[in-house]
Amino acid sequence: MAAPLELSCWGGGWGLPSVHSESLVVMAYAKFSGAPLKVNVIDNTWRGSRGDVPILTTKDNIVSQPAKILNFLRKQKYNADYELSARQGADTLAYIALLEEKLLPAVLHTFWVENDNYFTVTKPWFASRIPFPLSLILPGRMSKGALNRILLTRGEPPLYHLREVEAQIYRDAKECLNLLSHRLGTSQFFFGDMPSTLDAYVFGFLAPLYKVRFPKVQLQEHLKQLSNLCRFCDDILNSYFRHSLGAFSCVNRNQQQTDFGEASLLLDKKRSMPICRNSPSL
Amino acid sequence: MTAAEPWPENATLYQQLKGEQILLSDNAASLAVQAFLQMCNLPIKVVCRANAEYMSPSGKVPFIHVGNQVVSELGPIVQFVKAKGHSLSDGLDEVQKAEMKAYMELVNNMLLTAELYLQWCDEATVGEITHARYGSPYPWPLNHILAYQKQWEVRRKMKAIGWGKKTLDQVLEDVDQCCQALSQRLGTQPYFFNKQPTELDALVFGHLYTILTTQLTSDELSEKVKNYSNLLAFCRRIEQHYFEDRGKGSSSIRLS
Repeated sequence: MAAPLELSCWGGGWGLPSVHSESLVVMAYAKFSGAPLKVNVIDNTWRGSRGDVPILTTKDNIVSQPAKILNFLRKQKYNADYELSARQGADTLAYIALLEEKLLPAVLHTFWVENDNYFTVTKPWFASRIPFPLSLILPGRMSKGALNRILLTRGEPPLYHLREVEAQIYRDAKECLNLLSHRLGTSQFFFGDMPSTLDAYVFGFLAPLYKVRFPKVQLQEHLKQLSNLCRFCDDILNSYFRHSLGAFSCVNRNQQQTDFGEASLLLDKKRSMPICRNSPSL
Repeated sequence: MTAAEPWPENATLYQQLKGEQILLSDNAASLAVQAFLQMCNLPIKVVCRANAEYMSPSGKVPFIHVGNQVVSELGPIVQFVKAKGHSLSDGLDEVQKAEMKAYMELVNNMLLTAELYLQWCDEATVGEITHARYGSPYPWPLNHILAYQKQWEVRRKMKAIGWGKKTLDQVLEDVDQCCQALSQRLGTQPYFFNKQPTELDALVFGHLYTILTTQLTSDELSEKVKNYSNLLAFCRRIEQHYFEDRGKGSSSIRLS
């Protein structure tokens, strides 16, 4: 289809095109299926609602939520699952369910609920992309939403204490990572040599966990021990996102520097994109 | 949880009242556990109590009372039974175990959530069936209060996972997708992992059989399952092999 496809999503950092899992899933899928997406990174001048991000806009449609966006792209003939058998398609659905039930609570917890991580990394990063005064409110709301989701889906008795729920969700997440690692084995992608929807989802969930520098890192440490999953993320970053990394650098706000810890984004010197300069302290 | 004691003869499974009270999703869960225990050849007696939900350690039914242990929900029950030395999935390799767990999550994620949605968020079903059944053992006004409380809890959860804004048609679409995936995975095999049933077979049987045999306000849900003939054959096979042959008779329930 000739109509331009625009994707609004959260931006990147730490070597990733986006730090937001759902945005990353859509971006990866677009790369795998060859869909020509124009990516608009949200910054603090963006006027639309940030609650539904990522959002795909075409001339006549606005689609939100990764599952619906991927469906839409498939209908536009950008299908990364073309080569898959029916059974592999069924496996895709099952593994995505596994990711959402077992891994997502712990990822949400690492980013939004764990106090050290939230206050030193997540909140400043998101607040810098939201205009004042929303920047004071929205990150807090996102954090509460994450906690709510964790408690409502996993926090039922006999796990009365948040600490017990935390222990359980991290156990489940580690098990899920182990299962994914077993399933991937030594293959390049989950279904042979070509990446598909499942690869997009796994990459979307795993890459932020792998790359973002957090103070409290138990899940990240576990992931780093699973070398085939790390290799999987690095391969996709190098093959599909190397050239576009320059477009996803963090935004400098006038004189202010936004500090992100020690990761750095080195850009092609020919590009004139602003460079994110990082200093160790926050 | 010790593995030392053998499985006692008087192990019991508790669920809500079969005829008047139990709902679709709880019945599916209970049937899944019963099927699992039958597959492991472990005898269990089913006892119906109106307050089963409150007796359960996790608030969910069914739960089993074995010796002096009380365990609820299929996941923990599978672990408990494994600790006693019985397991259906020992023969699977790591990749197959990963697949089995993934498909079990698919059933929980899509089928169970769809059942909960239909029971508690679809106005027609709520009004005609759910409210009346859920509070039936209790006197007025307790029956209304409990039903509304449960409905509020379920709706909160639906909203948190993003199902709050779904329409009934979208939910039925999801059920169809899930059934299609299960049907494709099952193929022409007798069970999901070929010759031997596993806890995945028990779980799928519990949900599909309940959907097929429960009368709701409309037949749309069971029609979605009926589209897949290998799933129908699968349910029939497990029913015949594990329920009728053991002299338990058919466990079909008419909820109307």
